[in-house]
Amino acid sequence: MSLLETKSLAIGYHSGQNEPKVLQKDINLSLQPGEIVSLMGQNGVGKTTFIKTITRLLPSLGGEVRLDGKNLIAISDKDLAKKVSVVLTEKPFSLNISVIELIALGRHPYSNWLGVLSAKDKEMIEWAINETHINYIANKKLFELSDGQLQKVMIARALAQETDIIILDEPAAHLDLYNKIEVMLLLRAIVKTGKGILISTHDMQVSTQLSDKLWLFNFNEPVIEGNPEDLILSGQLEKTLYLQDYGYDMIHGSVRLSQNCIAEIELQGEKEVVFWTEQALSRNDFKSVSESDIKISCKHLLWVLKTHELEKECTSIAQLISEVQTITNKNQSPND
Amino acid sequence: MIQQQLEESQKKWTSRLIFLAICLIVCFIANVSLGSVAIPIKSLLTYLISGTSENDTWNIILTNFRFPKAITAILVGSALGVSGLQMQTLFRNPLAGPYVLGISSGAGLGVAIAIFLGLHFGGFMELTGIGRSWFLVCAAGAGALLVLLIISFAASRIRDSVTLLIIGLMFGAASGAFVSILQFFSQAENIKAYVIWSFGSLGSLSWDELTVFIPLIVIGLATSMLLSKNLNALLMGENYAISLGLNLKKTRLLIILNTALLAGTVTAFCGPIAFFGVALPHLTRMLFNTSNHLLLNPLIIIFGASLMLIFDLIAQLPGMDITLPLNAVTALFGAPFVIIILLRRKSLNYTHS
Repeated sequence: MSLLETKSLAIGYHSGQNEPKVLQKDINLSLQPGEIVSLMGQNGVGKTTFIKTITRLLPSLGGEVRLDGKNLIAISDKDLAKKVSVVLTEKPFSLNISVIELIALGRHPYSNWLGVLSAKDKEMIEWAINETHINYIANKKLFELSDGQLQKVMIARALAQETDIIILDEPAAHLDLYNKIEVMLLLRAIVKTGKGILISTHDMQVSTQLSDKLWLFNFNEPVIEGNPEDLILSGQLEKTLYLQDYGYDMIHGSVRLSQNCIAEIELQGEKEVVFWTEQALSRNDFKSVSESDIKISCKHLLWVLKTHELEKECTSIAQLISEVQTITNKNQSPND
Repeated sequence: MIQQQLEESQKKWTSRLIFLAICLIVCFIANVSLGSVAIPIKSLLTYLISGTSENDTWNIILTNFRFPKAITAILVGSALGVSGLQMQTLFRNPLAGPYVLGISSGAGLGVAIAIFLGLHFGGFMELTGIGRSWFLVCAAGAGALLVLLIISFAASRIRDSVTLLIIGLMFGAASGAFVSILQFFSQAENIKAYVIWSFGSLGSLSWDELTVFIPLIVIGLATSMLLSKNLNALLMGENYAISLGLNLKKTRLLIILNTALLAGTVTAFCGPIAFFGVALPHLTRMLFNTSNHLLLNPLIIIFGASLMLIFDLIAQLPGMDITLPLNAVTALFGAPFVIIILLRRKSLNYTHS
């Protein structure tokens, strides 16, 4: 059975006395145990509204949401809190609580009427802290943390809530590469235990490498579901994010910053050095081609620049770029 | 490791609470024994154990004045502190206090109507005596209850808590204006009676009144302890609180009802005691460096009670025949205290509540 299923769900919001504004309709999606799904789409397309609707923070505008086959409307507040945990983009209102206290709040649906933690609660808190590697900040107050640390603490709190479904709105937003990879690995390890994770993200690394499925939201178009690589190759992902406007290179996963071309240059040599040299050249409006009069042979920490007239050795990319610029300036007419 | 830490902090907080409780007892004894007439602690203890001491005058002072006043001070201090804390957490606003929903304005309006109109139409009430006291209590209680009903009605319809706060403020402004109009058309002695009520006083409660006052406040304080868990969830913000299984509308209504019960009862019996309810939660958070309501609630109950006993002691000016208005004392001595702590900490991080 799917952990989460939507049947012709319509989402949106009410504003004042007006007709409700529908952002997406006829959404039919499902989240299976052991799956990570990334929800993608442009700003304002309804990703956060979708998340708030399936967590009952907002009412749906039609259709239904089923959790473990049960209609979302029929589930009690406490049972829902035991099924779905969520990390939103908003920060906690109070930053004067300690990391442990925040994670302990994840045990809210399980603890007794006074909120006193049982042995099981304490065990789960310790487990969540260990899994997210935040032992070193466990006794700090939230206001002492960096945004990235806080993000991991919020994820730990969601883990402590011990739910089958974990929903994360923009989990990678504040994380540096190292922490992003750590969180990605953590999430992959968590879904192996049969949980399902839904992530809303703009991050290509997260969505394409981490997720088993993508859900793509477009303006005024049906929601698309599919394997990330399939959606890349079919051009759907590109269409959803309108990345072609900025020259996104799907194959290399990088952005072509510049469309101009001052000169064409031929690069040879060590693969890694060629890669970074090419990036630097392209940023400065030089195009790398397979054959040209200007040649650069790249070795580790040594670049040899060759033209018909001269041969120059450079020891850094910065030096190389300025040499290439001098040559091409000479070749161009001064009144250009 | 984490589990050990959790258990250690539990022990640490228990011992702190016990220490504070001892402080409370010391404050209580000081408050009861000092005043215009000083009563030695030894006689006080004899009185406490046997119900009588060697001096008849002291017996009368203790039974009729000092004990009712000290008990009132304890309950008022706890009640105002706890209701201020609840409002600050619910409205996510460090400036909120027990009167932010307009409860004191409502009570003030009730009292103003009672004093100005009641005396105007036939003058059926003397300004002294037992009849006057219950009359004012009922008038203030009715005013506070009216505000409570309107705010609760609004709370059940409005999702956003800050909107509620604004409605409360508007309410305060409107009833303040109405009181001004009443004052404008009143005689000087009535205005003086109203002003004296608005100074706040702990000493006007008889044992009769305490039999109503004590249970109401104790129910409110117990409810606030039961609300600790949900108040903690609200520290994360309303959306997270809902995702943790909290019924927002129900919890909010309970918090408002409980605040109204505590602040309304205090205002009805003792007048509007300003400053204390806003400052005490801050003071407690700063001194004990926690925002956990499971700790804050008992801390505020004990600390607030002790502090109110001290303020009352200052107000009675031991050894002198006059007493100062309580409201003047709480703000005069409380404000510099808060400022000094703020300056020493050099940080407002705690105001994230």
